[in-house]
This record gives sequence, C-alpha cells and structure tokens, in this order.
Amino acid sequence: METLGAFSLLLALCLAAYAFLASVIGGWKEKPFLAESARRAVYGVFVMLTAASAILVYALMTSDFRFAYVAERSNRAMPAVYKFAAWWGGQEGSLLLWSWMLSLYAAIVAWTNRARHRRLMPWVIAVLAFTQTFFCLLNVFVEPPFQMLAVGRGVTSVADGNGLNPLLQYWLMAIHPPALYLGFVGFVVPFAFAFASLLTREPGEAWIATTRRWSLVTWGFLSIGIMLGQGWAYAVLGWGGYWGWDPVENASLLPWITGTAFLHSVMMQEKKGMMKVWNMVLISATYFLCIFGTFLTRSGIVSSVHAFAQSSLGSWFVGFLAVSIAVTVFLILRRLDFLKSESHLESVLSRESSFLFNNLLLLASCFAVLWGTLFPVLTEALVGEKITVGAPFFNKVNIPIGLALLLLTGVGPLIAWRRSSWESLKRAFRWPVLAMGLTMAALLAFGVRHFYALVSLGLCAFVAATVVMEFYKGARSIAARNQMNFLRATVELTHRNTRRYGGYLVHMGIVLMFIGYTGSAFNKDTTEEVKIGSHFRIGAYELHVKEVTDGSNPNYSWQRAVIAVHRNGEYAGDLRPERRVYAASQQPTSEVAIRRRLNEDLYLNFASMSQSDPEAAIIQAYVFPLVSWIWIGFYVLLFGTVVCLIPSKVKYAYPKTQVVGVYERQPEAAQ
Amino acid sequence: MILAVAVALTAGVLAFVFLIRPEDLPPAEEAPPWAHLEEKRDVLYDNLRDLTFEYSLGKLSDEDYAKAKATLQAELGKVNAELERMQVQKPAKTAKAPAAPQPAAGTVCPHCGAKFDKPLKFCGECGKPMAGGGA
Repeated sequence: METLGAFSLLLALCLAAYAFLASVIGGWKEKPFLAESARRAVYGVFVMLTAASAILVYALMTSDFRFAYVAERSNRAMPAVYKFAAWWGGQEGSLLLWSWMLSLYAAIVAWTNRARHRRLMPWVIAVLAFTQTFFCLLNVFVEPPFQMLAVGRGVTSVADGNGLNPLLQYWLMAIHPPALYLGFVGFVVPFAFAFASLLTREPGEAWIATTRRWSLVTWGFLSIGIMLGQGWAYAVLGWGGYWGWDPVENASLLPWITGTAFLHSVMMQEKKGMMKVWNMVLISATYFLCIFGTFLTRSGIVSSVHAFAQSSLGSWFVGFLAVSIAVTVFLILRRLDFLKSESHLESVLSRESSFLFNNLLLLASCFAVLWGTLFPVLTEALVGEKITVGAPFFNKVNIPIGLALLLLTGVGPLIAWRRSSWESLKRAFRWPVLAMGLTMAALLAFGVRHFYALVSLGLCAFVAATVVMEFYKGARSIAARNQMNFLRATVELTHRNTRRYGGYLVHMGIVLMFIGYTGSAFNKDTTEEVKIGSHFRIGAYELHVKEVTDGSNPNYSWQRAVIAVHRNGEYAGDLRPERRVYAASQQPTSEVAIRRRLNEDLYLNFASMSQSDPEAAIIQAYVFPLVSWIWIGFYVLLFGTVVCLIPSKVKYAYPKTQVVGVYERQPEAAQ
Repeated sequence: MILAVAVALTAGVLAFVFLIRPEDLPPAEEAPPWAHLEEKRDVLYDNLRDLTFEYSLGKLSDEDYAKAKATLQAELGKVNAELERMQVQKPAKTAKAPAAPQPAAGTVCPHCGAKFDKPLKFCGECGKPMAGGGA
C-alpha cells in the first residue's frame, strides 16, 4: 500500500509538470489539443493526490505503525477524529493536505471554466500547475509521507505510536488547519487569473468578475482559519490569550491584510477602471504571502509554538518565491501600458479616496507586521544575534493603524462615489458623530480613562451608527416606495445589492470584534495557591475550591479541581478546570474552565498541585471583559461574507430612457 | 499485485490525458469581440443606478449629482457608440456563419447593415427605411 501511495505522488508530480509545460506551449502556440490534455492532467493530479491522501488517512485510521508518519503522529488510544486530524498534524502530512487542496481547487477551476476564457485558461492552468509541481516536488523528494520504519532492509513496526501533540487534540484544532489552508491555497486562483489576463492582454475585467467569488470565499476561509486559531489559543494555551503576535499567527494575518485591501481596491477597478497596477500588485502580494506564510511555518526560520520542526524546506521555498516574484514583477513592468488607469480621482472627498486611504493603512499594517516578524531573521543575518520584537512593538504600531482603519470603515459608506460636498458630508456625519460623542461621554462618566479604549469604543459607536443608518435609510426608502413593512424592506434592500450590504454586515462584525479586543484593556488576573476548601477572590467573583478529583482513560490521566463560583454573593455554578498528562507523550496540558457571558468571561486554569502543600492547588484565575464579542463579531463577519456571495436581485435596473436621452446628445458633446 | 495496479493506473491516466478526440474539445466560445464593451456598459448602468440610489439617500448635493450623472452618461454614450460601431462592422463579416440566430424583422438595416435592439421603421444610422420593418 505504501508503494502505491508513493507511486501516486510520483505520478501526480509528473502530471503536474506535464500540465505546466503543455499549458504553456498550448497557450503560446494556440494548440487546443495540448491545452485540453493539460486540463485533463490537472484532473489526473487531483485523482492521484486523492489516492495518496486516502492511503495515508487509511494508515492513520487503522494505526498502521509500519509508517514512520503514523508512528510519530498517532497512537491507538486517540479518538478517531484526532487520528484523522493527524493527516495535518505533522510536516509531511500537512504538506500533502496543501497539495491535495491545491489539486482540488485546480480541478474545480479547470472544470467550471472548461468552455470559457479560451485564451486565459491555458495560462491559468500553467500558474496552478507550476505551484502544484513545486508542492508535489516537496511531497516526493523533501518531506515524503510514505517512509516506513525499517530494521536493516526489512520493514518493521512499533506496538504503539507517539500520539498527536496533546495541544492539538482539541476540536478547534482539528478543523483550524484545513480552514486556514483553504484560505492560503485559494488565493492562487485569483492570482492565476490576474497573471493570465496580464500575459494575454485580455481586454476588460473578465478575470475580476470570474474570481470575485473565489476571492471572497478564500478570504472567508482565511478569516475562519484565523478565528479558529484564536479560539484554540484562548481555550487551550491556559493564559487566555487569543493573539500573541507569534510569527506563525502573523504569517496567516499578512495575506489576510493584503487580501482585505485587494477586496476593497478591486471595486475601484470594476467601477472606474482605476488602480489596475495596484490591484495586480495586491493580488500577487497576497499569493506570495500565502506561500511565504507556509514557508515561515515549515522552515524553522522563526521560533514559534505553532511551527513545525526545523527542516530543509527553506531553500526550496526561497527558490520558488524568488523565481515567481521575479517573473511576476517583470510581467507587471512589461504590461504597464495595459494597466493604464481609465479614469482618475475626481475629488478627495469621495469613496475612492477613502478606499485609497484604507489601502495605504492596510499596507502600512502589513509592512509593520512583516518587519516585526522578520526582525529576528534580519538581525541574525546582519549582526549575528537574533533580536526578537514582542507584542509591545506590534501593539504600538498596529493599534493606531487599526483604529484609523476602523474610522475609515465608518467614513467610507457615508461618502458617495466620485465626489461629495462638505454640506452633504456634514449632514451624513451628524448622527454617527453624535453616537460617538455620547458613547465617549458615557464611558468617561463611568470612570473609563484608558485612552485607546475610549477612542476604540467611541469609533465602534461611530461605525455601528453609520451601518445602522445605511440600512435604515435604504430600507425606509424601499418600504415607502413599495408599501412593505420595514423588516421585509431591509431584506429586499440587502438582496438588491448583496455585495454592498453584505459588506456593511462584515463591517459590523469587525466593529463587534473591536469591542471584544478593546475589553482586553480591562483584563484582571491572579494566581493563587489555595487549600482545598478555601476561597479566593477576583473582581466580582468569589471562588471556592471544593475538591480535587482524579482519574484516567487509555489516552490520558487527569486531575480536576471543582470550584464553586459566586458572583456578587450569588451562586453562579461550578467550574471544573482540568490538568491532563497524555499517556503516549507524557506531556501535561491544561483544560481550562470558562464561564462565558456577554459582559465578561471568568477563565480558570488549574496549573498544578502545590509542591510544598499536597492539599493545595495552584489556580490561575482571569476575568476577560467583553471577550465574547470577538466570537460574536466573527459570526456576523461570516454571515456578511455569505450575504456578499448571494447574487444581487436587481441588475442594471437603471431607467435606460434617461441614458438614451443623453446618448442622443452625445455627438454634440463630442464636437 | 502492486505492480499491476501501478501499471493499470499509469495506463489509465495516460489514456485519459492523451487520447483526445476532436469532439472532446470544449465548444468554441460564443463571446463576441465587443464583450468587454458590453461589460463596461453594464458597469456604467450599475454606477448610474448606485448614483441615483445614493442621491435618493441624501449623500449627494443636487449639483454633485448632476455633475456625476452627466459624466457617467457621457461615458455611457461613448461606450454605446463604440459598441454599436463594432456590432455593425463585425456581423457583416460573419454573416454566413451557420449557427448565427436570425435577427427579428426590422432590426437589421438592409442598406447599411446596422443592428438594433428593437424593430424600427427607419435606420438610426443611415436614415433609410428598414424594408419590412414591422414597427
């Protein structure tokens, strides 16, 4: 079986390389048969990689410990879901998942566009196949998943495996990597279309229309992946942090930032034919940052709790990135005439300029995160010593940028496309500014003195007011015109322009997430050594450690503290934080207990039993105000993204007679 | 056994990739050469719709609205003129294409070949009567 797995990978590599060559020649010489065979080779790659993945998963599920990968990443006592998740629990398996997802995307693109974009498609397939060839090379030669345990020349096996890293044995971690990879891998598709349109000088913006949904879905998956990672860090790492500016976290954030900038600025190209070079740079940067993120996670170049072990992958990635970036930059420079803007910025007071500022801020944030992430690598190369910049650097730079972006999230929708006058702006800003002022005044009255928290919550009120106003004004207008109730009019309004109103919902999600992040300014924590039967306090809570129980199952042994929670004197239930030691790896982990509420979370971690007193437990207690709003905001963001994907109901419903009236006058204007 | 499966797999894949009959090729694309202009026209209509909606919500002053609308309409006029020019020229060259649908009576000028969306009595291009125009 292992031979068949390795053979499938080899065949996939050959097919991917053939697909690349055949599509380049087929596109260049306009040979339809060659282009068609390249397309079929793409399906072949998918079938081969599916077979290889199925063999690896089968070995994991049946605990076939002849496979080195299975012996290292799985063990018999692990639940089936984590045995399956071990597919992406190690370097070799997760690279295979990357390859398989890319082949799936490529097959979908090849199938859905089989009778469309005849000039573009060979080049689209060439880009996809080039990337696929690179990853198949890694699967076959650098990190092969089908290595067997051997003694001398014979294959052997072990009685039980080492098991998956206990920190990864958590339900969010079982789905976090695939979601993140769906985002990482997916951006190759819009990039491939952009590259192909540039190469063929395809007139119009067909590549944008074709990849609009791809970009959104991919961005959505990247958002899901990042949020699942945050949820996992919050619930598993034991200190309540959901974002630590770790290099691997940053690696996923970078393409998200440029992808967000792209989703905004591409609207200007669609609407006005502007910023074509910029969009090309953004989508290319997003694709390269996805590859760069994969490189950062896997090469061992930076230290991170999430990174895979040190490996020789680094030089392969550097080579691939260098070639790809050089070709893309060369192509963009050669096609500057093709990318010439069709119109210009008419006024600083316009939606276009707010998009421009939004892009500049996102780029500044991206650069700061990239700089901070690579700083240890750069300092090691230049002065021979790794100097790491920590969370304070990232926070110092990114909090002001984040707040400025939040402001623009509110300002953008209030300004019209092309131009706005001061008068109409004053009118539009009246209520949102009032909401901001009132919120800040109320916070000050309640004793809030934290500068960033005040500004952030004030801006949240500002943006929320703009979003509510946009829905209210639009729905009111529709309700009056069509004699329908307000709720139905709101649905109708959203359905008429799903991209716009879905976008506003995404903005609302971001606002709610900012509320959650701002809550961290008021976090409280304490670590107490508490005798069983004793009490301690944090904030409004009194915590009574009732007992410590223990037990075991085949996978791990556990100790559990039972803690009664009283809030403002009233009993609010028991929490049971747990400490586990996994049998296979002998690695201890914490299972925190969280009392989640909209205003704050009470978060308890059972660190250990005291060394000096066997009757005392060491409990870390935290109060995290507003943190639930991060997850609620994420669901709203996701809902908004789904709304954006629904086709709009009204298309081109503008009364054409008005246009025709001017069209008849047009020859005069030309004279 | 493994060898046999590997050989069968390889043969199957090679046959699938290389054995392509002419009828397997995707059908010729129907998109006309002026597709990008139609796309641009649709975007301009969309922009006009947006503009009107934003004006109705009070985001633009009367003056801004009038200016922006005039600019968009002028752009639309140019695109429509260019579109019409291309559509008039191109069908004349490809008139013998067997799959081309028959135009409705009165929509193609018998004198200059100009095409129109609706049946007309007189040609909008050359002004001559449209023979058989059923308007």
